[in-house]
Amino acid sequence: MALRKILLGAVLLGSAALPSSGEAPKKEAAPAAKSFTGATANLAPGDAAGQWTRQARDYANTRYSPLTQINTKNVGRLRIAWSFSDGQMYGHEGAPLVVGDTMYLVTPYPNIAYALDLSKPGAPIKWVFQPNPDPRAIGKACCDKVLRGWAYADGKLIYNLLDDNTVAVDVNTGKEAWRVKLDDVTKGPTMTMAAFVVGDKVFVGSSGGELGTNGWFQALDVKDGHTVWKAFTNGPDDGALIGPDFKPFYSWMKGKDLGVSTWPGEMGKQGASAPWGWVSYDPDLNEIYYGTSNPGPRTPSQRPGLNLWSSAVFARDASSGAAKWAYQFTPHDEWDYDGVNENVLIEIPWKGARRKVMVHFNRNGFAYTIDRKTGEVLVANPFGHQNWAKNIDLTIGMPVINDAAHPIVEKKVTNICPPDIGVKNWNPSAFSPRTGLLYAGVFNSCMDLNNHIVQYIPSSPYDGMEMQRHAGPGGNWGDFIAWDPVAGKRVWSIKENLYVWSGAVVTGSDLVFYGTMDGWFRAADARTGKVLWSQKLGSGITAAPMTFVGPDKRQYVAVYAGIGGGAGVLRRERGFMPGGNTLYVFSVDGNGIGNGTTQLTQAGAPAPVSVPPAAAHN
Amino acid sequence: MRPVVFALALIATPAFAQVTADTPNPLAGNADAIEAGHGLFGKMNCAGCHAYDLTGGMGPDLTDPSWQYGGKPGEIYHTIAEGTPRGMPAWKDKLTGDEIWQLVAYIQSRKQ
Repeated sequence: MALRKILLGAVLLGSAALPSSGEAPKKEAAPAAKSFTGATANLAPGDAAGQWTRQARDYANTRYSPLTQINTKNVGRLRIAWSFSDGQMYGHEGAPLVVGDTMYLVTPYPNIAYALDLSKPGAPIKWVFQPNPDPRAIGKACCDKVLRGWAYADGKLIYNLLDDNTVAVDVNTGKEAWRVKLDDVTKGPTMTMAAFVVGDKVFVGSSGGELGTNGWFQALDVKDGHTVWKAFTNGPDDGALIGPDFKPFYSWMKGKDLGVSTWPGEMGKQGASAPWGWVSYDPDLNEIYYGTSNPGPRTPSQRPGLNLWSSAVFARDASSGAAKWAYQFTPHDEWDYDGVNENVLIEIPWKGARRKVMVHFNRNGFAYTIDRKTGEVLVANPFGHQNWAKNIDLTIGMPVINDAAHPIVEKKVTNICPPDIGVKNWNPSAFSPRTGLLYAGVFNSCMDLNNHIVQYIPSSPYDGMEMQRHAGPGGNWGDFIAWDPVAGKRVWSIKENLYVWSGAVVTGSDLVFYGTMDGWFRAADARTGKVLWSQKLGSGITAAPMTFVGPDKRQYVAVYAGIGGGAGVLRRERGFMPGGNTLYVFSVDGNGIGNGTTQLTQAGAPAPVSVPPAAAHN
Repeated sequence: MRPVVFALALIATPAFAQVTADTPNPLAGNADAIEAGHGLFGKMNCAGCHAYDLTGGMGPDLTDPSWQYGGKPGEIYHTIAEGTPRGMPAWKDKLTGDEIWQLVAYIQSRKQ
């Protein structure tokens, strides 16, 4: 009962910002959490504490779990309770979903879905769904054949296939409910992002920043997958759903058809700007937020102009898709600094008032705290090592670029920081409403860059960057950091050998979990950054961890170990591990449904499908 | 002039259909051909997938001993001409037979 009370308190504290909750936090149950910043978050839709029904757990993308069974005192006793190998060798990036008594997993290409029954010993397979995507997609995906997550809604598991289809699987039968083809993979675009569901809509976007694609984002109907609205990133205003409601904060983003006029000729059509990252949603404003990729080609001298709306973030009305505002983080991006990283929606104290903001760790090395009603940048400070810009001039919202950082065609320019993959990539951060801090895996590296002129040849790369990457100051390639989004500074950091390319999850007991590319899964004290527990796994970790309560009322923590994706750029570095495909599930002392002297093999579970051997390359 | 060049090309190198796995590269080791292949490797976006140093990225490493579709010159020629089921485009409509052999010569010159 005491435990139940604490859990309830954590839930109520977490949802205190929910205007519709109608319940005041109970004083006696609220933990005495002291926030570093006073930042809070709306944790809608307010799922039951033990469930994890969407990739980032909530619309705001906090990856905050109110669970407290596993805490700073017993975390050192975490052991593997059970594991599950899915047989696919491309990079694993998503987090499992737990809905009711079932866990849902989807592999990288060929995007096989598994439902596991958590109520039975060993979590046996309930069903397997094999969608058989077009193998030609393999040669079109720039950065491994990955999938960053999947969604649950209306009794369906909904996710993207690498070959530009979105598919929905009936969770009761494991059979296909619908499938819609959204683009032509033979021309270059793929789909790798995690579908994101709000109400009756599922939001999806295209990948292909290096393939001369024409990036788009759309809302599909959860019932049958038909397109409700579609917005291209570039091109004329009508195709981008830019109309009278569009009010960017800064004057240089105001004007007609800037998605055409900020490019030479028709180049915006091959300008990529693909929305391949995360989506977040504010239920009060009914707005969604998502970012766009680098412009194509990557050689900037071929596309003079701002290249709107590449390397930017859009705020759109979720129902109509009408653009409300946009902000281009890296105007005329010269270094491949995509703007697709997660936008974490929080509320902060700011000059005596509360402001609804988003926090965005950009590839370019600046962490932006942006008013999400207006698009005004409140804070933009470096969260890691960079030297391409002196600062972001907040009076105009533009970077002040270091002259020595401009690429030159057919000439090596040395020591530009960060390289193309950024100070942080798509690996999602977490936010705790208890500490008021964000937690993120970051990179510390630079590049020597030689640019080449490229021509647009449909279905082939439209790129032009030749580079060598090296570790930044200090010699370590990465860190895991805690970030104050109000002051714009690091609170603590943990040095790691390689890039920290995993997601993070933070709990109501002030534990933050992350993984390393050399195979360590760690729990740290969210307040101090002290590592309290580590477990070496079978492969490097480039996936997002999560935590849930099983039908046995026990808290588990789960993460995939299956290195891949963009992390492959370090595949020749010491410590980089072989690929893998195993989900590890941890509990205190390893107790639970996966072991013990009394466990019997469960009869009647369907055999896994026969799967093709994974390719030996990435 | 153009028909003459075309005729010379036909004489110099086997036509697409005549190339088999065991067909030797008529341009192997030819410095001019290797340099021309180097240029094509960048110009035709090969480097976008296989990297400017040929060690791979989106696509496989072309310098190591592992070949998914065969590493003999005639097999590499065939892969470039026809593409692969895993998404490498077919280049036979964009490159001449000579140009493909130049690319093969460049790749052969970089093999470990």
